[in-house]
Amino acid sequence: MSTTSEPEPEPEPASASSGFKVLPVLSTRRAAARHAYATVRRGLRSGDLRVLALALGIAAAVACGVGLFTDRVQSAMDRSAGDALGADAVIRSSTPLPADLRAQLRGIGMRTASTAEFPSVVTKVVTKVAANDVNKTVSSVDSEALANAAASATTDASTPGADSSSDASSGGDADLTQLSSIKAVEDGYPLRGQLLLSDEPFAPAHPASGVPPRGQAWVDAKLWTTFGLGNGAQLQVGSIALTVTAVIFDEPGRGSAFADFAPELLMNGADLDASGLIGPGSRVQYVEQLGASDAQLLAARKLELPRGMRLVTPKDARPELKQSLSRARQFLDIAVLMTLLLAAAAVALSARQYGLRMRDEIALLKSLGARRQFLLQSVLLQLGLLCLLAAGGGVLFGAVAQELLGRMVAPLLGVSLPWPSALPIAISFLVIALMLAGFALPPLFAALDAAPLRVLQRAVSSNSGARGGALAALAAVAALLWLQAGEVRLAVYIAIGATLAAAVLALLAWLLVRLLQPLRRRSGVAWRFGLGNLVRRGPDTVAQTVALGVALLSLLLVTVVREDLLNTWRGRLPADTPNQFLINIQPEQRAPLAAFFAQNGYANVPLLPLVRAHLTAINHKPVSAASFEDPETKRWINREFNLSWTDQFGSDNQIVAGQLFTAADAGKPLLSVEQDAAKRLKLKLGDTLDFDVAGQTYSLTVHDLRSVHWDSFKPNFFMMTPPGVLDAPATAMRAAAPVQWIGSFYLPKDAALEGGTASAASAPASASAPASPSPTAPTLARAPTAAHTVESADAAARGNPGTTASLAADAGAGSDAGEHRRRLLRELTRQFPNVTVFDLDAALGQVRGIVDRVINALELVLLSTLVAGLVVMLAVIEGSRAERVRETGVLRALGASSRIVLQGLLAEYAVLGLLSGSVAAIAAQGIAWVLAVQVFDLPYGPRPLLLIGGALAGCVIVTFSGWLSLRRVLQAAPRTVLAGGN
Amino acid sequence: MTDPSVRDAMPREAVIVAEKICKEIISGGSRLSILDALDLRIDAGESVAILGRSGSGKTTLLSLLAGLDAPTRGEVFLAGQKLSALDEDGRAGLRAGRVGFVFQSFQLLAGLTALENVMLPAELAGLRDAEVRARDTLDQVGLAARVTHYPHQLSGGEQQRVALARAFAAGPAILFADEPTGNLDVATGASIIEQLFAMNRSRGTTLVLVTHDQQLAARCARTVTLEAGKLIERGGLAAASSP
Ligand SMILES: Nc1ncnc2c1ncn2[C@@H]1O[C@H](COP(=O)(O)OP(=O)(O)OP(=O)(O)O)[C@@H](O)[C@H]1O
Ligand SMILES: [Mg+2]
Repeated sequence: MSTTSEPEPEPEPASASSGFKVLPVLSTRRAAARHAYATVRRGLRSGDLRVLALALGIAAAVACGVGLFTDRVQSAMDRSAGDALGADAVIRSSTPLPADLRAQLRGIGMRTASTAEFPSVVTKVVTKVAANDVNKTVSSVDSEALANAAASATTDASTPGADSSSDASSGGDADLTQLSSIKAVEDGYPLRGQLLLSDEPFAPAHPASGVPPRGQAWVDAKLWTTFGLGNGAQLQVGSIALTVTAVIFDEPGRGSAFADFAPELLMNGADLDASGLIGPGSRVQYVEQLGASDAQLLAARKLELPRGMRLVTPKDARPELKQSLSRARQFLDIAVLMTLLLAAAAVALSARQYGLRMRDEIALLKSLGARRQFLLQSVLLQLGLLCLLAAGGGVLFGAVAQELLGRMVAPLLGVSLPWPSALPIAISFLVIALMLAGFALPPLFAALDAAPLRVLQRAVSSNSGARGGALAALAAVAALLWLQAGEVRLAVYIAIGATLAAAVLALLAWLLVRLLQPLRRRSGVAWRFGLGNLVRRGPDTVAQTVALGVALLSLLLVTVVREDLLNTWRGRLPADTPNQFLINIQPEQRAPLAAFFAQNGYANVPLLPLVRAHLTAINHKPVSAASFEDPETKRWINREFNLSWTDQFGSDNQIVAGQLFTAADAGKPLLSVEQDAAKRLKLKLGDTLDFDVAGQTYSLTVHDLRSVHWDSFKPNFFMMTPPGVLDAPATAMRAAAPVQWIGSFYLPKDAALEGGTASAASAPASASAPASPSPTAPTLARAPTAAHTVESADAAARGNPGTTASLAADAGAGSDAGEHRRRLLRELTRQFPNVTVFDLDAALGQVRGIVDRVINALELVLLSTLVAGLVVMLAVIEGSRAERVRETGVLRALGASSRIVLQGLLAEYAVLGLLSGSVAAIAAQGIAWVLAVQVFDLPYGPRPLLLIGGALAGCVIVTFSGWLSLRRVLQAAPRTVLAGGN
Repeated sequence: MTDPSVRDAMPREAVIVAEKICKEIISGGSRLSILDALDLRIDAGESVAILGRSGSGKTTLLSLLAGLDAPTRGEVFLAGQKLSALDEDGRAGLRAGRVGFVFQSFQLLAGLTALENVMLPAELAGLRDAEVRARDTLDQVGLAARVTHYPHQLSGGEQQRVALARAFAAGPAILFADEPTGNLDVATGASIIEQLFAMNRSRGTTLVLVTHDQQLAARCARTVTLEAGKLIERGGLAAASSP
């Protein structure tokens, strides 16, 4: 045959001798193709290949559908995180962006918009017009507002960077001053998201049509209330006067303005020079907003940025979103992996059966003179054809399904889902090819080795390739895990879980087969026959139990994941999660504030202490920004840390090393450190940290490391001490540490807000996370503890009988709630102007939205997992069907009634199902526990009901499907069943 | 060998009666008539050999007589029971313990050992001594040493003998056998034939055999030939003269 590949130049004379040789080779390939095509067609028609094709199709559909979907949601999420940043990315620096760098960025094709942020004192200009505007009620509060503004200015003045107030308070009672955060913006701002304005604080919002025109200023509710402004009021900013024309309702990237908790003023960048505020020594943070594609961002990352400039992308922002998204990803990854592994099992099972059938055919073909090469080509072509058919069909199906899902999800998301990349499709084909290579090729290769003698004697079987097959399957599983599991840890858990489950299943099945042995002799014919079958087919029974167990395991896991994990996850952010966050409460305001809340029907708004401190030394070695390489850590050192104290941590804090404080630790100079912070500062247990609190040094020893769920929306701190340390009373040696308090409560949602800003992400909360770009990153967080949540919800319901604490009810009572909300917030800011209120509804809503959306997607994927599990079961039952059909025929011919045959079959299936069901339930518990505790940080206890339910469900499902597949056969005449081999 | 006078001397009841049975098979749109208004009466204790060319419908006839299949038209009475009046289970119940069947392709259950295969009919008939009987019968067919072997470990002839043993084991009143000696050498075949007729003599077992084996056909009291869907009697002297 090989001679044919050598080119023979002389055509005519050679043809006589070599033509005979050339012909068979050419026809071999064509004949192999024909044979392959015919075999696949026949297999699909007769059902031999149907289960295999179905399993491959499901795998392709899931891999492709989920791949495309997550790809799109991921980029949509990146985008909405970009909205929170106000841009696709920003460059932060303390000097203006050099013109050439900006030109370079524009050269890449990026859009840019510069902003400059700095603190400055703003003065209210009382002109005649303004005075006329101020109505009686407002002016009556003015003196109080003045006092509070002054207090706040003093508090904030301790912040480094408080601008010299040389031109500030001119003293007269006509002028009010307020330290504010000024943001000068350029046309185009914000590049992403929407700036929302309203006519008065907490009134319905409308989108801004641009940036403030020259000579105008837009201020936030706090500044408005502090000054008792009206529309058209004048504010002195530096050396120019600006006219206030709107209240900032929501602003993308507000997170950074959260920095000093100072009120904000937005002005046109073109007025900046005239204001004279920018000069040597002024502390300006320049933020260059960038509008760019991913590719452009990649290019930008390669640019050499001058010292002190940092590129921040959405991935660096919004840690609570990031955590939610990564959890979501993990859920999806697990579901997809489970589906793929199940599909792989189905492929392996059906391919094995197909291989066994092919073995006879191949032996026959060999005995008829077919060469190995012909058969090899045919087998490879068959697999190729199957791959194309199944993967093609699956990919198509998956693509359509994810498009439909995407359409349902896009409105929820508030953004349109971008077009997906082609990568997931390529990966799907790769997955199918892998499955075929790993699970289908080995049994078919083994079939190729079938000896022609097999035609004469069935017992001649080659066991060669069994080890090779196992290796191929292992390699394929490893490759699948690597391809599909986003995380190595997850892949390893699943691999170990699956292996363990299979091993336990196999062991138990084997034990059962042993146990059944004596039972055989005692029971009736039917049971004896049924159980006898199980015993007789020993190894087959074990294999079937494992396969069925895996299928049932998937069904149970779907239930567990759906019922337990998803609900727990969803329940983490109950409808009444506190959505209003209060900071900057002075100690002496605690009582009046409590009174205020009590008056408004909020019985108990819990307050938490906060002490600002500078880290000065670690293990008695002084530290400064220079001590650390990482720029983020450098910034941390330069800023103040927020310390707090407690001896009761919520469930969203989990111990990583050491032990949490107990009541006995009160008064001891100990420190509990969040693990990311510890990593950043390179801390270990027993390290000593020196903090400077208003001139006093506190030496604290690291007592434990914690992990914190930032997405819980509960208030959390990087550094905590036991009670009695920071709040120790003043002594002769040291003054008491200055403490401010923070609090949170649930305010029923405003209908107007819900409609207007659902997609706009205002996320001051991001300030609390390690990766946050905010200058005060190590700070506090967001909402009260679970116990308080209930109370505040109660209070909210009591305070306003027209509303309940549930979101669903809000819609109906929208206007009531909206009014209540506006009134309460207005009163709060009026009576306690120094207290800043943050509305976390948008951020909360976004996290909730993601959770809900992901659960939708997951349920879809879990459905496919379910189908894959059923396909495995089908593969098992169909695999032994032919044999069983023949058996029933023989039994009936020998005089067995269908009752006896049926009983035998049911006995067999019932025991098989009971066994696989109980093992699957045990395995499901184990896997669910690992997933809950290790991956999702959710509590999980044993579920005895699942065990009983699993065993029973296994029994019923397997018995029922067995009955379903054989019920017709039981009615047919034995001769028709035995036809062909009578 | 057979003596027609014996048949005539003792009036016997018919255990198998086929009245005008037709079997048609519709496949691929065309109708294929295999049996065409065929009549047959077999008395208890009789031994009948059915001859015919390959594809003439011998197996089909046998399975109709045993109630393994239903005729398109016509009636079959087995042990006095009208088969069409019974449902599939009723027919199975009728066979249980009473009818033995040796399939042309043996139809041993692959998952059962030789012994277990042979035990099956006796078990289904509810006999207590199923295993003892099975061992005895296997011993009779010369397979005492292969009881624990599975069908795929046995030669074609050995499988055929297990199939025969299975048919013998429950001591059936009627034994249908589709080419029971097809795979056996002359000596083994002769021994099996001996056993068949020993059963026929001692227990009065009715034998209905399909065979190409002239030696076997010759031992039967009656020989019928299937041709063009009809039976042509050619058993003994009387049969030879009948049209
Ligand atoms: N299920 C079927 N579909 C189509 N034709 C069938 C079917 N079963 C039997 N036949 C046909 O009926 C005819 C009789 O078949 P049968 O098995 O009874 O023949 P036979 O006499 O036993 O042949 P042999 O001696 O070769 O065993 C054959 O031509 C066969 O092809
Ligand atoms: Mg035949």
